[in-house]
Amino acid sequence: MISKSEVKHLAELSRIELTDEEEERLAHDLGKILDHFAELKEVDTEKVSPLTGGALIMNALRDDSDSRGRIENDMAVEEFPDKAGGLLKVPPVFS
Amino acid sequence: MNVKDFTIKSFGEGFKAKEFSALEFAQELFKEIESGDKEIGAYLSLIKDGAFLEAGRADLLRAEGGELLPLTGVPLAIKDNMLIKGYPATASSRMLENYVAAYDATVITKLKNEHAVFLGKTNLDEFAMGSSTENSAFHTTKNPHDTSRVAGGSSGGSAAAVASGLAVAALGSDTGGSIRQPAALCGVVGMKPTYGTVSRLGLIAMASSLDQIGPFTKTVEDSKILFDAVRGMDIHDATSTNSHYKISKEEIKKLKIGIPKEYFVDGIDPAVVKGVEEAIQKLKKLGFSFKEVSLPNTKYALSVYYIIMPAEVSTNLARLDGIRYSRDVQDVKSLRDLYVKNRAHGFGPETRRRVLLGTFVLSSGYYDAYYSKAQKVRRLIQEDFDNAFNEVDVILSPVTPTPAFKVGEKTADPLSMYLSDIFTIPANLAGIPAISIPVKKYVVGSGELPIGFQLMGKNFHEEDLFGIGEMYEAE
Repeated sequence: MISKSEVKHLAELSRIELTDEEEERLAHDLGKILDHFAELKEVDTEKVSPLTGGALIMNALRDDSDSRGRIENDMAVEEFPDKAGGLLKVPPVFS
Repeated sequence: MNVKDFTIKSFGEGFKAKEFSALEFAQELFKEIESGDKEIGAYLSLIKDGAFLEAGRADLLRAEGGELLPLTGVPLAIKDNMLIKGYPATASSRMLENYVAAYDATVITKLKNEHAVFLGKTNLDEFAMGSSTENSAFHTTKNPHDTSRVAGGSSGGSAAAVASGLAVAALGSDTGGSIRQPAALCGVVGMKPTYGTVSRLGLIAMASSLDQIGPFTKTVEDSKILFDAVRGMDIHDATSTNSHYKISKEEIKKLKIGIPKEYFVDGIDPAVVKGVEEAIQKLKKLGFSFKEVSLPNTKYALSVYYIIMPAEVSTNLARLDGIRYSRDVQDVKSLRDLYVKNRAHGFGPETRRRVLLGTFVLSSGYYDAYYSKAQKVRRLIQEDFDNAFNEVDVILSPVTPTPAFKVGEKTADPLSMYLSDIFTIPANLAGIPAISIPVKKYVVGSGELPIGFQLMGKNFHEEDLFGIGEMYEAE
C-alpha cells in the first residue's frame, strides 16, 4: 500500500511534476507492485552479504588522464540546449 | 539473390567470391526496408548515406586486396540506445528526441574497424524499459509472424528487423531479458553475454549492474561471429574484462544439461511447454545427457529485479534533467521548475513509474526492507546457479511463459507485463551468459508463432552455449 501523499513526496524527490490523475494511478500501480515484494520477507537473509554489483572484478584502475579527447567534449557542449562561451547555461536557481 | 535471406556467414562467402558488391547489397536491402518496414516498424531512423559510404569503403578494401574481416560490408541494425557518432540516439524517449550522439559506443568502434555497415537505429521500449516496445514514445514494433502481435521488448525493433530479413543481424541490450525475450517471440537467436564481456561505453544506461549488449542473428553460428566482434576489455568500462575460455567440439558433446524443476510451473502456455519439450528431445537424440537441478530462490527473482533495477534506473536517469541533452519546455521560472516540467514532459508513464519506484526503495526508512533485502536475495540466486553448475554445465529452460501476445493485451496491468520476463531475469541477476534459440526454423508468413528455448551457462562460458546451439541447428 502506498498513499497519494507518499506519491507526491516521491515525485518531488524525483523532480517530476505529476497531475492529480497521475498521482492516483501511480499510487494504485506502485501499491500493487510493492505488495508483490512482500514475498521477500519469507527469505532468511540474516547471514547473507548483499550482492552489490554485476562484475566479479575488483579495483579496476586506469590512468587519471584525459583519454577521451577534446573533440568529444566540444560535441557534448554543442548538444546543450542552452550555452554560452562553451559553458552550460541554466535559469536562475531562485526565482 | 534475395538480400533478406542472408546470414553473416553467407554474406561473407558471397562477398569474398565477388558474387555481389557491398554497395549493391545495401541498396537492395534499403529498398526492402523502405517497403517492408511500414508494416513492421522495426526502425526509428535510417542511416542511408552513411551505410552507402561504408559499403563503398568495404568494396574498395576488397578491390585493393585488403583483409576482409567477418563483418566487413555486413549490414547491421543497432538498437537506438547505443551511440553512433553524428546520428540520433533517442532511446525511444521524448527526452532525447533531438539528441545527436557525440561519440561512438565501443561496440560501434569495434564494428567500424571491421567496416560493418549500419542500416539504422531500431525501436525499443523507452530507455529499454518494457517487454513489447509499447513503451516507445514513437511507435510499436509489430511481430513479423503476426502483425497483430508484439515483437517483444525491449529490443523489439532489432528482433523484428532480423526476423523479417530487414537486417542481416543486429545489436540489442539485455537488462532482464530484453534480447532473449524478443528473439524468442520473433523466432531468431538472441544472446546475453556474461556481465562484463562487452563494453557498456556508449550504451545509454538503464540498470548498470545488469545491462549487457548482445547479438540478434538468424543462426547460432552468426551469434558467435557478432559476439566475438564486439567483446573484450575496454579501459572506459571498469566492469569489462577479457575472457579466454575455449572448448573443443569433442568436449561440447560431453556437456551435461540441467533442467531446473522450478521453471516448469503452472501458468506456462502449453505451446511453450511443447516447444521446449521438442528441443529437449532433439538434444537427447544428439547424445546430450540431462539432469534435474534445483534453483530454489529463482522464484524471488522477479521481486528482486523490480527493486534493484528501478533503484538503478532512478539514479541513472537523474542526469536527464532538461539541461544537458534537450529541453522541450522552455517557459520556466527557475531551475527547479525546469527540472520538474521537462522530466514530466520527457518521460513516458512506465519510465515515471520506475523512477518513482526506485526512489521509493532507496529512500531512508525503506532502504533496508527493500533495496538491501533484494541485494541479499540476489546473492542467494547467484549461489543457486553456482550450486547447480557444480552438477551440470548448462541449464535449459523456456525463454518466455507465452508466445507473442497481442498488441495492447498487457499494457493496462504493469505486473502482468513484468511477468513475461520471469525466465530471463535470473541470468541477469547472476551475471551469467544465456542464449535464446528458436525451437525450429520459423518462416515468416507461415502463420505459426515462434517458440524459443534458453540455455544458460557458467560465467564466461559462452562457447558452451554456442557449441550446443550449433549442433542443435545443424540437426
